[in-house]
Amino acid sequence: MHEQHPIGLVVEDDYRRSRLTVFFRLLLAIPHLVWFFLWTIGVLVVSIVNWLISIFTGKPPVSIHNFMCAYVRYQAHLGSYISLVGNPYPGFTGEAGEYPIDVQVPEEPVAQRRWTILIRIVLGIPALFISAALAGSTGGSFSTSAGGSNRRTSGFSGGGALLAVCAVLGWFASLARGRMPKGLRDAGAYAIGYTAQTTAYLLLVTDRYPNADPTEMLVAVTDRPPRHPVRVVGDSYDLRRSRLTVFFRILLALPHLIWLTLWGIAVLFAAIAQWFATLFTGTPARGLHRFISTYIRYRLHVAAFVLLVANPFPGFTGEAGVYPLDLEVDGPQPQNRWKTGFRIVLAIPALLVNAALGGALIAAAVLTWFYALVKGSAPWGLRNLSAYALRYDAQTNAYGFLVTDVYPHASPLEGEDPAAA
Amino acid sequence: VTRSRAALLLAFAAIWTVAIWLLWRSSVPALHLPHLDERALFPPHILHRAESYSRGVRFFWLAQTVTQLAVLGLFARYGVRWSRESAAGPIGTGMLLAMIGFALVWAAELPFSVLSVWWRHRYGLSGSYVQATIGNWFALGVQFVLLCVALAIVMRLARTRGIGNRWWLPAAPVFVGIRTLLAFVAPWLLGGSALHARYVAQLERLEHVHVPVRVLSGFSEPNAFSTGLGASRRVFLWKPILERPFTPRLDRFVLAHELGHLAHNHIWKSIGWYALFAFPLAFLIALATRSRGGMGVAEAVPLAIFVYVVLQLAFLPLENVVSRHFEAEADWSALRATHDPTAGQQLFRLFASETLEDPNPPWWDYVFLENHPTLMQRIEMTRYYAATRAP
Repeated sequence: MHEQHPIGLVVEDDYRRSRLTVFFRLLLAIPHLVWFFLWTIGVLVVSIVNWLISIFTGKPPVSIHNFMCAYVRYQAHLGSYISLVGNPYPGFTGEAGEYPIDVQVPEEPVAQRRWTILIRIVLGIPALFISAALAGSTGGSFSTSAGGSNRRTSGFSGGGALLAVCAVLGWFASLARGRMPKGLRDAGAYAIGYTAQTTAYLLLVTDRYPNADPTEMLVAVTDRPPRHPVRVVGDSYDLRRSRLTVFFRILLALPHLIWLTLWGIAVLFAAIAQWFATLFTGTPARGLHRFISTYIRYRLHVAAFVLLVANPFPGFTGEAGVYPLDLEVDGPQPQNRWKTGFRIVLAIPALLVNAALGGALIAAAVLTWFYALVKGSAPWGLRNLSAYALRYDAQTNAYGFLVTDVYPHASPLEGEDPAAA
Repeated sequence: VTRSRAALLLAFAAIWTVAIWLLWRSSVPALHLPHLDERALFPPHILHRAESYSRGVRFFWLAQTVTQLAVLGLFARYGVRWSRESAAGPIGTGMLLAMIGFALVWAAELPFSVLSVWWRHRYGLSGSYVQATIGNWFALGVQFVLLCVALAIVMRLARTRGIGNRWWLPAAPVFVGIRTLLAFVAPWLLGGSALHARYVAQLERLEHVHVPVRVLSGFSEPNAFSTGLGASRRVFLWKPILERPFTPRLDRFVLAHELGHLAHNHIWKSIGWYALFAFPLAFLIALATRSRGGMGVAEAVPLAIFVYVVLQLAFLPLENVVSRHFEAEADWSALRATHDPTAGQQLFRLFASETLEDPNPPWWDYVFLENHPTLMQRIEMTRYYAATRAP
């Protein structure tokens, strides 16, 4: 088990959302956004002073540390509010313990290695990539106008991010049900937690590198999602990577990618046949279920290999129990005919979340490639972030291809074990 | 059993010999080529440049070949250890090992590829460092795919009960089939734009070949080739050969040469030659890998690819003999179609100055590297034709 990260995420949210504030959420956040913009400018100036002092003293001054901690907390509060991860209107001071989605920070500044302070901005680049993929532009972006053309300058921002997708989907869900779906809430909280760790690292609040492991990030969340019929199993400490196969990974995977494409075409037709079978009989045909499940498992194996989530070269048959990152799929169960009939439409939100997680997956794979070439192993956090993304991808495929009618759960937490429950 | 086996072997040898005789037949008459002195045909500075450049090219080829053999030799000895990086079963693991072997060769040869480009630049020839590195990377990807297909066939057959170590017997025809399919399909994938020149129709009529003639851009060297089978037959001209200093008269000769290949069914014949050598090649690989458990197990793959590359090198002189035979026939066909030996002579002289091809390379270069007759031999043929057709 790893030592707990000094920047911890606190989640005390009860999923309830006020429909009225949800509807006007962005407008209500305008005063906060203005304040956040001003505060960010202040932080940028102070961080330079902080950096210079810290290089000489080895740790930030107490007053600046507190200022930065408040900023990190406030950023998390505001991000939570805007993305519907939290419900109440946040305060303007980044006060500790006042918001259901909070960040624990070190009370006192700690001594840090000077060389890491010196090149902190460079060291932070990989974390910024992941943060951008997870939290996008909520991490402190602002726009500037230069020379008559609008140029967007992002502090810790990125493209189509998980948090933004969860917020949009959560907005509709919260308006309809008055509650935020657990999966979207957890995924959003995870993104906010990682961004907080990245910001804290860059602002010299801590010298511990951000930890992308979703389970560790959400350790404070006690309720786990229900057990899903499609589950990823594998040892999260299986981190050894062969440098040679890492270097040539994409080329080595070419035969698999071709085979996967051909198999995918067959699966498309199988899924159409399965749709009719499930619609008429209420239960998927066993043979087609096995065929499609095997394809989804094979897809997971290939993706795990290409994206460096696992090390060995996978087999071509999608056989269960032979690959370190594997897929467990329950047998065919009766499915709701309404859900079957409108499956393609119903799958759209899951596909959006999947696409957003795909961005994080690619970013993690690129960073892991460099890391693994140097160290001969994968970073623990990125490996587990990727495993989470692959699990969601497998569940989305299983849902889309009628293996199950249980919706993919976006929570980074594993489904509850029925024995433990 | 021994007697019947000997009879069978004899029958195979007879078929093989007849097949060779059939494939070797040529429309080129017995030529008594005049011996020419290259110093009389090429200016000294061009000869010097071509010889100097070719020396470098030979060195790079030698270095690359030695590197390849050394890397694959070591890989044959120690490569099995990479099977622990696979969870794919014997066939998948075999594929991984083969790909790793070729990846290592690629990495080891990379410096020479880059140096080759530098060498070309030094002599004013074009060459891209991007192509030599990233471009090769993509080529390696294609090689991987083909390698995996080949291994999937071989290993599947070797693991089939009742076939086992005799996998080479069914595998060879399968590979011949794949080669034929590729030869048929490939021309459609190449694209290019149509060549509109008056001489095209005239030559097609003379050579009794009516095929599309396409121009491929994106190349910096003057070249041309013909390919395809049946409906897919095409002639492709690389754009630089249509540009100065090459003139339409020379292009006409080039096109006649390429149409000559098609008129004499060289693509079919090359498949025939491939079929003849596919059986012994596959048999020798099967024989060599028996000590490692045969091609049904992944452990045999590193040795198999080493043996394959060695055999390929050993067969290279034979392959070049056949290729030069075809090229000579195509040259002769071009001379008969155009009745223009002067154009042929000018063209071959230009090759020395434009591509820095050595007109008279050393014997080992001729044996291993020359898949065309030398420029001197080609010029001698044009002279011979001119002399025999002279009034």
